[in-house]
Amino acid sequence: MIQIVTGDARPIFKQIVDGIRMQVITGELPVGSKLPSVRGLSMQLTVNTNTVAKAYTELLSHGLVESRKGLGLFVIQPKQILNEQERQDRLEIAVNTLINETIGLNLKNDKIIDLVKSKLAQLDDKKTQ
Amino acid sequence: MSNFIIETQDLWMQFGSKVALKNLNLSIEAGGIHSIVGSNGAGKSTLFKLLLGVNTPSQGECFILGQNSQKLKPQDRGFIGFVNEEHTLPEWMQVTTLIDMEKSFYPQWNNDIYKQVIGNFNVEKNQKINQLSRGERAGVNLASALAKRPKVLILDEPTLGLDVVAKQAFLESLLFTEKNEECTVIYCSHQMDEIERVTDQLIIMEQGQLISASTPDKFCEKIHYWVVDYPNNIPESHLIPGLLQQKNIEGEIHYMVIDQDDSLKELFSNLGAQSAFHSEVSLHQAVNGFLSRNHHKPETEIAHV
Repeated sequence: MIQIVTGDARPIFKQIVDGIRMQVITGELPVGSKLPSVRGLSMQLTVNTNTVAKAYTELLSHGLVESRKGLGLFVIQPKQILNEQERQDRLEIAVNTLINETIGLNLKNDKIIDLVKSKLAQLDDKKTQ
Repeated sequence: MSNFIIETQDLWMQFGSKVALKNLNLSIEAGGIHSIVGSNGAGKSTLFKLLLGVNTPSQGECFILGQNSQKLKPQDRGFIGFVNEEHTLPEWMQVTTLIDMEKSFYPQWNNDIYKQVIGNFNVEKNQKINQLSRGERAGVNLASALAKRPKVLILDEPTLGLDVVAKQAFLESLLFTEKNEECTVIYCSHQMDEIERVTDQLIIMEQGQLISASTPDKFCEKIHYWVVDYPNNIPESHLIPGLLQQKNIEGEIHYMVIDQDDSLKELFSNLGAQSAFHSEVSLHQAVNGFLSRNHHKPETEIAHV
């Protein structure tokens, strides 16, 4: 379920993009599942249909979903758009964020690494299902 | 004839010595929801009265649906909807009598639309208008305005004073009722959460002038927030380019700036800053910072953006 917060620094269309991306990552929206129609999601969130359309355009351009004529948008297997170096850079940023968030928690390194491993394993399980 | 659904040319409106509109040049393209925001007294309601031909401009001209507002024919008026905050309706009438009367005036009346919209509000057709709550009156007004299938619909603070349920019903009806493809909505409100949800184009007016017209996202991208820590002297505010707002909060200086890039960080450092922390702003913050800039810096000219 996507939540929209007005008064946030992220515009509403970006919140929708992030919300759907998160649902795909967590497996809530597995590959092959259909996104709600533009009008349907607009009504659910009480936002302008053009705002949802803009979010969907961005998801399309990111290669997260594809449009099937007359049927709607579907989640697809992510295509490899980024090269090796870009992927490495993104990973660095993500790991830095993780470290930033956890540094104040006084946890043993092993504990953090174990949790990362088990979360990744869970995702792998979902993908193979 | 222009492609604009609404156009004003060097429009002036003066009431005695008070200038309400000052050389306003505004062009609104057909389609979508155009929200007008501005402080009280920015000239929004004056503009609407001129557009509807209720008042005569002091100077200049305005056009709606390609017609001069001063020379609107009844058939043009039939395609212009207007809903104001008062929700003025004939108190002594029953809802059904009022609607029957309205229907008879508008050949394009669509009863399915009326029923769909009024169904979002809890209104019985035999109720008298003076028994309706504020929210129900707003519902009757909006349902009747949309059923007339207007080409342009002007809403002047329509949700003012509505409770959460009525407000939700109002927004849903406005956003999702089937409209003419080319129906253009002019939405005027001080409720930034509504503006954020409904707006395609954001128009900002100030002191009777047009200050900005863009998508809300584009407008937000222009405005940035910095929190800067100066261990020694705080530099004079005229040294900060594009400054909208400056606040001193617990010894740290909070700036809101417009049209500046990351090079500002270097400038802060040259001015003696120990640290400078940047963040994006919400639409609410952006509009608020932008409109309040003259309260903080009375010496600055209004910057056209």
